[in-house]
Amino acid sequence: MFASEMHRIIESTIGIFVRACCSLLMAVVLVVLSSGLDARSDEPGAGVSDPRVLVSRDWADWLNKEGRRFWGEPPEPCDDLLLARRLYLDLLGRVPSVAEMRDYVALDPSTRRSTLIDQLVFHRGARADDYKRTFSDHWARQWRRVMLLPNSQSGMNPGELEGWLSQKFSRDDGFDLIMASLVEIRDASRDNVYFRLSQSSPATYAANVSRVMLGVRLECAQCHDHPFTDWKQADFWGLAAFYSDLGAIPQGSTAPAKLGTIENGGVKYVAKVLWEESKETAVSRSHLANWLTAPKNRQFAAVSVNRFWQLLVGRGMYASVDDLDLASPQQRALLDGLAVHFAESKFPVRSLIAAICKSDWYQSIASSVNLPTDSDGDSVAFHRPVKSLSPEQVFDSLEQALMLPISRLDPSSARWTGERMQVVARLGEAVGKSPDEYASGIPQALVMMNGKLTADAIDVENSRLLRATLDSPFMSAADRIDTLCMATLSRHPTNEETSAFVAYIQKVVSVDEKRRAHGEILWALVNSPEFVLCR
Amino acid sequence: MVTNSVFSRREMMRIAMASIGGASLSGWLPRLAKAACHARSAKSCILLWMPGGPSQLETLDPKPGRPNGGPTQSVSTSVPGIHIAENLPKVAAQMKDFSIVRSMQTGEGDHGRATQLMLTGYKPTGAPIEYPVLGSMVAQRLHDEKSELPSFVSIAPFRLADLGSGFLGAKFSPLLVSGASNDPNTRANLTVENLSPIGGELARMQDRASLLKVIRHSTATAGEGSISKHAAVYDQALRMVDSQGGGAFRLDEEDDVLRDAYGRNRFGQGCLLARRLVERGVPFVEVALSDAGNGGGLSWDTHADNFKTVKTICDVLDPAWSSLINDLKVRGMYESTLVIWMGEFGRTPKVNATSGRDHYPDGWSMAMGGAGIKPGQVYGSTGRDGTDVSNPVNTPQLFATILKALDINPASSNQAGDRPIPLVDDHASPISELLV
Repeated sequence: MFASEMHRIIESTIGIFVRACCSLLMAVVLVVLSSGLDARSDEPGAGVSDPRVLVSRDWADWLNKEGRRFWGEPPEPCDDLLLARRLYLDLLGRVPSVAEMRDYVALDPSTRRSTLIDQLVFHRGARADDYKRTFSDHWARQWRRVMLLPNSQSGMNPGELEGWLSQKFSRDDGFDLIMASLVEIRDASRDNVYFRLSQSSPATYAANVSRVMLGVRLECAQCHDHPFTDWKQADFWGLAAFYSDLGAIPQGSTAPAKLGTIENGGVKYVAKVLWEESKETAVSRSHLANWLTAPKNRQFAAVSVNRFWQLLVGRGMYASVDDLDLASPQQRALLDGLAVHFAESKFPVRSLIAAICKSDWYQSIASSVNLPTDSDGDSVAFHRPVKSLSPEQVFDSLEQALMLPISRLDPSSARWTGERMQVVARLGEAVGKSPDEYASGIPQALVMMNGKLTADAIDVENSRLLRATLDSPFMSAADRIDTLCMATLSRHPTNEETSAFVAYIQKVVSVDEKRRAHGEILWALVNSPEFVLCR
Repeated sequence: MVTNSVFSRREMMRIAMASIGGASLSGWLPRLAKAACHARSAKSCILLWMPGGPSQLETLDPKPGRPNGGPTQSVSTSVPGIHIAENLPKVAAQMKDFSIVRSMQTGEGDHGRATQLMLTGYKPTGAPIEYPVLGSMVAQRLHDEKSELPSFVSIAPFRLADLGSGFLGAKFSPLLVSGASNDPNTRANLTVENLSPIGGELARMQDRASLLKVIRHSTATAGEGSISKHAAVYDQALRMVDSQGGGAFRLDEEDDVLRDAYGRNRFGQGCLLARRLVERGVPFVEVALSDAGNGGGLSWDTHADNFKTVKTICDVLDPAWSSLINDLKVRGMYESTLVIWMGEFGRTPKVNATSGRDHYPDGWSMAMGGAGIKPGQVYGSTGRDGTDVSNPVNTPQLFATILKALDINPASSNQAGDRPIPLVDDHASPISELLV
């Protein structure tokens, strides 16, 4: 039913195009709506020879089996359309287009979930180039959020770090190599971007590196020995000492400090890795980088896997992702198992992401029900929470759903007029600390309710989505509701929604009023909790 | 959603549908706006925040005739024996309504760190806890769930540090109100962004809210998840749009004489707006005097040309602060509203080579009056030269006093995750001499 409806949209759009071929706007609409037609050349099953795909399948099988031993049976699977929405949001950072949904529905139902995952992660089919760029940008943004906490007050543009990461993800570098170059800072002019965003402070960088890459929050040991774990000030400053030469010139001195020792509160600390005695006599950052990202350093692989899992599933396999040093061997058993696979295969980012997405855990229904916890307050059951969209995901989804122009050459492209920056900045004022936290407040609600982007979106003269929907003469009232709902929420409306909305439109008489009524329905759709959440 | 337990699905749909199309105005948005200003019961607080660090010697603790006192003279106040700087004559006349602390000793001399200390009550340590600012703490304790306004409003904000509600969450983060113009000589236009509904007609907002309810209904889940949080925030935002912030932002409803008295600049009109917000039940309003025409946001940071600059800023401060006290008294709101005046530190009791004064956290002044505060007194002193501090007051003691004055137990704690975080550091006790 859905496919035939979509077919009607396209037919009707073509009709308009023929009748008014001078309409540039509609030409664009046609391209947007039909751009997926040739994507079918991507046969289901294509790419099975790609070893990365095979690896992801093996790991997904392993997760399904071992996960059941660890957590018991997973919750029931979510429905197919909801899964597609999740995948587009999690892998490309935006909702799927109506055309992409249509292509997805046309795939073989028994394999389409995996086919879509492979298309988006390994960049196959007609949209491969677009997917590759969007995928890399989105994952760079996700990791930038992990690496730079909100309110970290650097006052610098985090976009630089995103650009750096995006390039690495785009080249499909191993995750160990990406992180090692940040630790080593071999080329002080290029790889120091994260260091500079850490206020160029050895102490801040030590805290960041140990939290992000080792899941150890050392910063409490900056001023006193850690109260809960056995981290000492010597551990914290020992890590900072690897960066002493890059920090500010110490007071009363004319030259930068030497790498390897650092002073704090009158005490001199010597560079040392957090555990395992060094056999090397010369202290160097390459030694630190090698130690940190070595496959046998179980902590690095486990932290990385746990963070990818958290970004995708909404909650870490071990929930306190920044405190993995506090996890018991039992609590981290499954995590360590997956980490061994990840490390032994040279840390392949795309295989890991695809494996998680293909697992029953990722594909199960989300819930907001509180779970039983053990005596430490750690959840003992598997939990798939509802996630909140990041500010960029919200904007990019609006752009996709509303069919906004994206070309730099188009003076009305919200992406380039500064509107994206403004909306992202406003939404970014209140972002949760983990993907499952909805942290928005009134200013964020107000910008979605009354902001310019929404105003343009529901204005019949300005909104491409509304015009594409309203100017299709063969659509019934219910079809139009269906299209709006599919474009924004990637699902069909419920019967109750359809009848409520159709009744709302029928209440008014004039053509203009009816058109405006569609705008109001679109307002409600983009302002619904569903639009800013990933269920 | 909250109403799930009360209504069946069928009833929900009926209610939702009945109010679509403006046929019924009674369906969805609480009619608080029509109920005008609902009664205030708890106390409120207005923080007049002075970023940059005001000079105590040119405001509340002058040292006329001393070598380091500069040219500033003192004036007598409405309390015999208490003198303050000549820059604040109208405030001096109101001395019987507030008290001064002249012995603040806070130990942080960097703008960023001191701002964090004076707004959160905690020294910056690099610890992974994001402490909430005073406004968020008070909002969390004194907020009214049904209010059409947020519980913490910050007017013309300027801060060095990126501080907010911290671990208390977005619900208690400040709603920022900015003046459209930075020019203090133009009429301040204090607005909330995106408060007007698209298309301008409030009636259409009713339609939108009802349509939204239809969609929400199909995703309604039990429990305290993101979906119900979203609903709670939206309901509050919708109430605020529906009532246009309870009409608080319509400053033109005020008498011209009163508006002139506050001063026709961003800070003056901001103080007037603060009164209107408190009147409508907002428990915490912050008004920053961040730009008095001397450029930049740190107007009080007078490393050079201190005497002239402070006088210029005081020309904005004096009428605004004194009018606020007066206005609150006239309306019978002063005994339930705590008005605080402070910055992040004071300035050196030594004039530098450029006629300026530098940062000084070791003996500076702040003032407060209204709710809970015994007025008309000076607590602590700095001796003849401003350096000999008696009865020193540190930040946790000040916070404890402020909270106590607002009937909030300073010994209580908030939860940051599973960790209890005391409202004030160091188990500090309030300064009883300052409290009623």
